Amino acid sequence: MTLQFQPPPPDHVPPELIVDFDFFHIPEGVSDPAEIWHDLVRRGVPKIFYTPRNGGHWVLLDYADIVEAYRDHTVFSTYQTPIPPIEPFPVVQPQGVDPPEHNVFRRLLAPMFTPIAVRGMEKHLRERAVALLEEFSDKGECDFIADFAERYPTGTFLYLFGLPEERLDEFLDLANVFFRSTDPDERAKNIVDIYAVLEQLFREKEASPGEDIASAIVTARDKEGNQHDWTDILNCGFLLFVAGLDTVTNTMAYIWRYLATNPAARKHFRDRLDDPDAFLRAIEELMRINAVSNLYRRIQHDCEFRGVQFRQNDRVVLPNTVANRDPKVFADPQTIDLDRAVNVHVTFGVGPHRCVGSHLAKREVMVSLQEWLRRVPEFTLADDQPEHSVFGGSVMGFTGLKLTWDAAAQ
Amino acid sequence: MKVVVNLDLCQGHARCEDLCPEVFSTDAVEGKCVIENAEVPAEFEEKVRLAVRNCPEGALRVTKS
Repeated sequence: MTLQFQPPPPDHVPPELIVDFDFFHIPEGVSDPAEIWHDLVRRGVPKIFYTPRNGGHWVLLDYADIVEAYRDHTVFSTYQTPIPPIEPFPVVQPQGVDPPEHNVFRRLLAPMFTPIAVRGMEKHLRERAVALLEEFSDKGECDFIADFAERYPTGTFLYLFGLPEERLDEFLDLANVFFRSTDPDERAKNIVDIYAVLEQLFREKEASPGEDIASAIVTARDKEGNQHDWTDILNCGFLLFVAGLDTVTNTMAYIWRYLATNPAARKHFRDRLDDPDAFLRAIEELMRINAVSNLYRRIQHDCEFRGVQFRQNDRVVLPNTVANRDPKVFADPQTIDLDRAVNVHVTFGVGPHRCVGSHLAKREVMVSLQEWLRRVPEFTLADDQPEHSVFGGSVMGFTGLKLTWDAAAQ
Repeated sequence: MKVVVNLDLCQGHARCEDLCPEVFSTDAVEGKCVIENAEVPAEFEEKVRLAVRNCPEGALRVTKS
């Protein structure tokens, strides 16, 4: 680990609650980035601890504490939360504002992502998965990230926003820089580029609205009958662009990586291709065990939480992967039980900010896996995996995942 | 057996609908839980109990009729 200057921990943090932990840093040889979190639990660190890394922040490890943080926005705000701190940071709508202000854009987006709405998208989602798969299923190999897991949710974004498919590569490039670049200049330019694209998109949809989400956002009216604030409109578009891509890509990467190494799990899903209830139950378990997001909150005011002093503007990280394996909540939590009957995972968060796209995300994974297994029932990890292909941070995952199968036999 | 939902707690996870669509559905506006008939037919009691235990918000409750 590189040593770097760290400011001393603030004086309200007792020494016994300090742990040196950098969740952006995945040590050499660690093949699953979530393991750095589970290692903390194995080491028995305090269930609420403070790390001076990345600007300094708290971490909650108990399911009950994480759930409470999600629910209580009067203490745990989503406003201006980036880690390391960046100020000012765009106030993304509606994720970055607390209730009741949160309700305005939440209510605007919610009808477009309900289970009813998502069921209406299923035919399209299935066709998109089939079209992608047919490009490589007879080749016997792919880089699952580049060939499927990035293209699928990004293409879905184009569809939802009423954008032409020809712009897929442009949006893939924008997303790749946004999620993977560590160059400050490139990152700054990338944000400007994304907002320029959104500006143009919303102006076009304003002039000639369609049946898409971008049109719904730009034509919506507030209580007084006016268009929403233009900056809020752009920030809502920005949220939908960044929230539904990397999360879905890496959830899929985790799931396919697991299936590639588990013949019994592949068979479990194949045997249930015509039993959507059992298929979904097994997907829920993979959602529990493969929770890629670590969420941020900011403390609203000085307070005591479970006997620990928090100070206003302290940052807090909520690792869903740890909550989802809390033995106080889940029977045999480290075991992947594809028939798990009770599974109250928090992969999509809980409380007012529950991931608005959760039903779409689940449907994307489910449809993709069904169509994949119909074409590629057996597959394994290729021997030549790309090096340094794991990353940590707010979303954990993989930059490459090479899969191989016997195309002639299938 | 009756089942009731606290819509202040429900956040639209729709796990109940996934587990027992015979009793639970979701609305088109917020995606929150809808229970058309609170009286649970005997054949679905077990599925409803499972749905209650799977609500991540603890928004569902069963009561005796």
